[in-house]
Amino acid sequence: MRFFLQRFMQLIIVVFAVTFTVSLALGAIPNAEERIIAAKGSGAINDEEKNKLLDSLNLREPAIVQYGYFVKDFVTFDWGTTFNGNQPISTSVSDGLKISLRLMIYGQLGALLIAIPVALAAAYRSGGVFDRISTTTSFGFISMPNYVLATILGLFFTVRWQWFPAISTDIGFFTSPWQHFRNFFLPTIVLALPLGATYMRLLRADLVNTLQSDFITTARAKGVSTPRILFGHALRPSLFSLVTAAAVNVGALVGGSVVVETAFNLNGLGRRTVLGIFASEFRLVQITVVVLALVYVFINFLTDILYGFLDPRVRAGRKLS
Amino acid sequence: MNDTAVIQTPDDAATASEAPRKKFRQRGRITKWLSITWIVFIVFTAIGASTLPYVKHSCDQFANEDLCSTHLKTNPLLAERPPTWAFFSETTRPVVRDAPERAGFFGTDTNGFDIFSRTMFGARNSLLIGAMSIVFGILIGGSLGLIAGYVGKRVDRVIDTITNIFLAFPALLLAIFIVGFFDSGTTTEAKSRSIVPIIIALSILSIPPITRLVRANTMVYAQREFVLAARSLGAKNTRIIIREILPNVLPAMVTFAITGMAVLIVAEGALAYLGLSVSAPTPTWGAMIFGGQAKLETAWWISIMPSIVLFLTVLCINLLGDVLSEKFRIREAIG
Repeated sequence: MRFFLQRFMQLIIVVFAVTFTVSLALGAIPNAEERIIAAKGSGAINDEEKNKLLDSLNLREPAIVQYGYFVKDFVTFDWGTTFNGNQPISTSVSDGLKISLRLMIYGQLGALLIAIPVALAAAYRSGGVFDRISTTTSFGFISMPNYVLATILGLFFTVRWQWFPAISTDIGFFTSPWQHFRNFFLPTIVLALPLGATYMRLLRADLVNTLQSDFITTARAKGVSTPRILFGHALRPSLFSLVTAAAVNVGALVGGSVVVETAFNLNGLGRRTVLGIFASEFRLVQITVVVLALVYVFINFLTDILYGFLDPRVRAGRKLS
Repeated sequence: MNDTAVIQTPDDAATASEAPRKKFRQRGRITKWLSITWIVFIVFTAIGASTLPYVKHSCDQFANEDLCSTHLKTNPLLAERPPTWAFFSETTRPVVRDAPERAGFFGTDTNGFDIFSRTMFGARNSLLIGAMSIVFGILIGGSLGLIAGYVGKRVDRVIDTITNIFLAFPALLLAIFIVGFFDSGTTTEAKSRSIVPIIIALSILSIPPITRLVRANTMVYAQREFVLAARSLGAKNTRIIIREILPNVLPAMVTFAITGMAVLIVAEGALAYLGLSVSAPTPTWGAMIFGGQAKLETAWWISIMPSIVLFLTVLCINLLGDVLSEKFRIREAIG
């Protein structure tokens, strides 16, 4: 319980800091008002509207009041509209978040689906041909930035052979499963391969250790079949650092999804953020950044809590310190 | 090499892994030297990009500079030309009269600029940004970590909390946020972004992990006997930190700095890919990769060639980092 409370306090502090920094960043921008007016559209705005707009952003209030308004607006989903075109930000964010979350989940699952079988096969004959090939390849993929991977895969799969569309469109799974697969396959692969390579190396190292322990020898002596040894006996005790890595890499997934969305023209939250920056849509950027950061923070919080439930050592360890 | 491991049963994992490990080490030495060679090459060309003979000035194909600049303005016909060795790529349009259809080892881009030269000039920017950011990160993060780990108590708690807050942001998002919010200029006027905000953003990115690493290491060493000995000899805290603890923490810092530099070069590339790095005429690798994206169909070399250089550089830096961390027995740092 104390562990839970401690983590919860941390969560509160982090959430406060994130929202506070983001809300105050608007005031720290050089010539913010000017740029907001410019974003609104040239000359199409009179003084009254201008004041109304600037008032709604509370730019002229003291910092702490600004923060109060920001939190109030954020919690009540009163997110306002974009400066240019008056689109409601909330729909933009929810549309984008749908795509981004889908990408992140697919990426994470894809990475695990790649990593676990490869790691099992590599660790089973550690030092063998497959092990060496997969370890070397995974090192290559770790060093490969996702935009480079996106470019190379794009060159072959969308430009040369045209297996997949170059510009992915968000097609729901239920409207057309095949189109959904075609549109999301490459983005997922680009996210999953570097991540899967990291996971694979971690899991392989743990598996090699586990496979050397006595209970594996015992199982083998009893005549347990190889797949059963690998999946039933060795995998579970080796998963610990993989779970940690999967949680830590959610941040990498958020960053990766921004790049992938840009590379494949998916209108996710990350791409909306970047486009928002170009268009000086500060309000939109503030909201999207907070939403993405909150998603990340909450996932980390949840995994930490899960940890505490899964492994009593974590709870005990925290208590001692 | 004498392969004795063949005799052993493959089932015996413990002994069977010995021989390949030896092999790994043998090959590791070669890859180590190969990667050092590549990094030296890249650094060398990056430093000497403007003077080295094989790095062609962009306008070399013209009689003089004036002709070049007028040409660039008036004649958009300067099509991209494939690398000389790329026999499989068709040359698309007739280029400037008398200009060869294939040019350079890396080809040319849409403006007719030699991509190899641009890549080397890009190396200058990318490496400079990476190195500067990691240096600032080491200086600030290192000293914060040393102070937090050595002083402990309330100072430690404050620094640790701040570190946690920064780590709570997804890294790239934080960089995008910083760069995006602090670039000057309105939407109407052309934005010109210098190298400085990028370095600031990437330094901020690199400080928290370094702080955390150094703090953890310092805490271990601060309780060792030699620190106690120094203190009982009457050494001041600053002296203990600098002369006693810092040399012990340094290997971990250096190793982290090397892999961290690779991460930062990649991060800069990502920013450039999103259009948020140094503005247009200044080449960086990420910007070059993004620039060729639209031309992928007709001129693959524009983005693929810098991609390969970037990939090789990051790979080599990572390999070196791996070698070093094995040498100093440092666990793979997260971040």
